[in-house]
Amino acid sequence: MRFFGRGSGIAALALVLAMAGPARSAEFKGGLLTPPKAAPDFTLTTQDGKDFRLSRERGNVVALWFGYTFCPDVCPTTLSELAQARTRLGADAKRFRIVFVTVDPERDTPARLREYSNAFNRSFTSLTGSPDRLAEVRRAYGVTAEKHVVAGTSAMYLIDHSAFVYVIDPAGQLRLMFPFGMSIDDMVHDFKQLLHP
Amino acid sequence: MRYPRLIAVIGTAAFLLLAGLGFTSTADAQTQTIQVSNAWARRAAMAHGGMAMGSMDKGSMDKGSMDKGAMDKGGMAKMDSGATGAVYATIANTGKEADALVSASSDASQTVELHETKNEGGVMKMRPVPKIAVPPGGKVEMKPGGYHVMLLGLKRDLKPGEKVTVTLKFERGGEVRVDAPVK
Repeated sequence: MRFFGRGSGIAALALVLAMAGPARSAEFKGGLLTPPKAAPDFTLTTQDGKDFRLSRERGNVVALWFGYTFCPDVCPTTLSELAQARTRLGADAKRFRIVFVTVDPERDTPARLREYSNAFNRSFTSLTGSPDRLAEVRRAYGVTAEKHVVAGTSAMYLIDHSAFVYVIDPAGQLRLMFPFGMSIDDMVHDFKQLLHP
Repeated sequence: MRYPRLIAVIGTAAFLLLAGLGFTSTADAQTQTIQVSNAWARRAAMAHGGMAMGSMDKGSMDKGSMDKGAMDKGGMAKMDSGATGAVYATIANTGKEADALVSASSDASQTVELHETKNEGGVMKMRPVPKIAVPPGGKVEMKPGGYHVMLLGLKRDLKPGEKVTVTLKFERGGEVRVDAPVK
């Protein structure tokens, strides 16, 4: 049961390969995208029902994460690590934005996203939109999201999804990808590098 | 007639006593071989906007975790509106025989399952698992990005400072009750 494009997986793989090896620099702990490219722009709906346009975040570092609220493990882990990193940024936190894009628009309505965000950290911007528009955003970032109906669980479906944090610098360039499990120290290090180049 | 009856009574008593002792000592030995530490639960919010979880058919949910037949659309649609949570812990097996966590239960959610998340080339795949093996003299750490006890259909918010009580059932080690603080 695949509802989302498979082609995006190839793009994700290409990015992973691109960030392996020489792309690792002393300057950053995360995977560096070389050359950096303009972060694909998009407009989606926030948990408060407002429009969020990525390109309006110039001047801020944006940590972009794709997940779904039904996911109890990897998604909240990553989001809570980003929230802890944000706290550690101190005064720089006002130039740092955590953006969570759902891969599950069926379940993740703005109301549900609001409950979810509030349980963790109100500073999150949680986004949803039409399935088509969300699929476009995923394609642009090379994010994979595959829906599976799985035996042996009472969950209606589960979604396999890319687990990278996409980091956009204040100039709107997509610069870094953080793999799952990267330490908060390393995240803070990289965010500071981007905020104070 | 009186004598054989006495033997029968003594025999029965002895049998019951031995059976009782045997049962008790086995149970003690079993629970002692499994040690659970560092338990914690992830904070989570139940889905208030969803359908009332209390209206769910309890009977179909009890056998639902492993029974494909229970995956009917009606039950699922209700389940679907629920929020999820995760409980983690380190399980040590101090015994000499392999053991396995085979199920878990909690009053915090409608259903409790054992799940594993695997990172396959940067794509996270979460799946239910029938059991989590704990080797003799070894331990298994349930942690984010690996194994977790999955709570489906939360009955309440899981807030930091509170506790979630989970009963872990082992193949050999019996049941172990764990209080997992919410973080």
